[in-house]
Amino acid sequence: MSSFEPKIVAFLCNWCTYAGADLAGTSRYQYPPNVRVIRVMCSSRINPAFIINALLEGADGVLVSGCHPGECHYTSGNYMARRRLVLMHRMLEYLGIHPDRFRMSWVSASEGAKWAEVVTEVTEAVKVLGPNVIKREQVWMQQSL
Amino acid sequence: MDATKSLRAIAREVLGREDIACLIGYEKGSYGFRAQPCVLTEPDQADRLIFSPLCVHNLTNYLTLEQIGPLSKADIGKGKIAVVVKGCDSRAITVLCAENGIKRENLYVIGVHSPGVVDLKKIERRFPNAVEPAEVSLEGDSFTITCEGETASVPRSELVNAKCLRCKNNVPQGCDVVVEGPEHSMEDDFADIAALEAKPLEERAHMWQEQFSSCIRCYACRNSCPLCYCSECILDKLRPQFVRRSVDFPENLLFHSARAFHLAGRCIECGECERVCPQDIPLMVLNRKLARDVKELFGYEAGADPEQKALFVTFKPDDPNEGIL
Repeated sequence: MSSFEPKIVAFLCNWCTYAGADLAGTSRYQYPPNVRVIRVMCSSRINPAFIINALLEGADGVLVSGCHPGECHYTSGNYMARRRLVLMHRMLEYLGIHPDRFRMSWVSASEGAKWAEVVTEVTEAVKVLGPNVIKREQVWMQQSL
Repeated sequence: MDATKSLRAIAREVLGREDIACLIGYEKGSYGFRAQPCVLTEPDQADRLIFSPLCVHNLTNYLTLEQIGPLSKADIGKGKIAVVVKGCDSRAITVLCAENGIKRENLYVIGVHSPGVVDLKKIERRFPNAVEPAEVSLEGDSFTITCEGETASVPRSELVNAKCLRCKNNVPQGCDVVVEGPEHSMEDDFADIAALEAKPLEERAHMWQEQFSSCIRCYACRNSCPLCYCSECILDKLRPQFVRRSVDFPENLLFHSARAFHLAGRCIECGECERVCPQDIPLMVLNRKLARDVKELFGYEAGADPEQKALFVTFKPDDPNEGIL
């Protein structure tokens, strides 16, 4: 498994983690190049179905990251997201999907170093798990979600 | 039998009123152990009504339909809908009203203290090939079953639906009129959920893979659910299309997790999804897992309080940060 490079889909909130990831870049922090960043306006934009869909579309791991609780640009979006996604995390584990395949984190715009740490930790964990086996079997129609 | 008698008397009175458009209740089915839902509009039809342990359906599912039995949408608008509910069904009305799915003032709720309904799959296994309409009543701790001219007595615990063995409260809440009967309430200890959680991840993954692979995606679980009434459903949306049309494990996994998740904090555990499943997928094992987690994480219980807001439109700043980096 040493040569396995996982694909990790990261949904980042526009106001905190996306800026944090940008800061990590401009500050020259090194972190694994395995994440594919998707920018969303708020972590509460994440429909739990996106997470399963990402896994079915071939992602080996999913990361959702937003502002720290209490610091949401929209006042309460991340609180809403937390309720949904903490429950989702438990449900996925119950359904037999390893809890390391879906992670959530709070990274603010000033935490470039934390972003690098989070990505390193998530990537290492997914590397240990190996490739995700739950993928769409019949891809007969190219479609964007 | 007494419940049937009082129910008929209530129905006769209710159907005679000007402000009632129809009454949704149960009537004798055409074969075997079937009772069937019926929609009555005239007082002289009241004697068709029955209430017995065969009345398994959750009739609140009809309340959100465009058309109820013979009544069109315009007819429904002319008056209130009277509906017969058991304890579990009444909680569906609480949730529906709380989330503005239906208006309470358009309903006339007739509650019945249900002593527990039978599990049709169990009873049909026990008495196979019953053709003539059979009768079942609960006397003491056993069901008295009259089937094909023979009478048998079977302990309640052997034929009763599993959901009734962990019934939170069989006293219907928020009713306009109640048919009294024995009361019981229990605490669900979620022992089976905890046992499944304690198993290794691979074993659980294997179990759900087997279960979801057998799903034929008939959508009966969604359609029979009184709380799945969105006019635009994620499960059959095409743009964007979340669940694709192939019926295989990956799509079914998305289908079932989306269905269960949309009921998180809303499912009142009437067990209709599991009852109608032609493949016997243990859907309640998933629904109850979410119900337990919602209670554990957020102290929230669906249908417990008519005033409480929906789970996912509220939050507490000190909600758990479980598993968040």
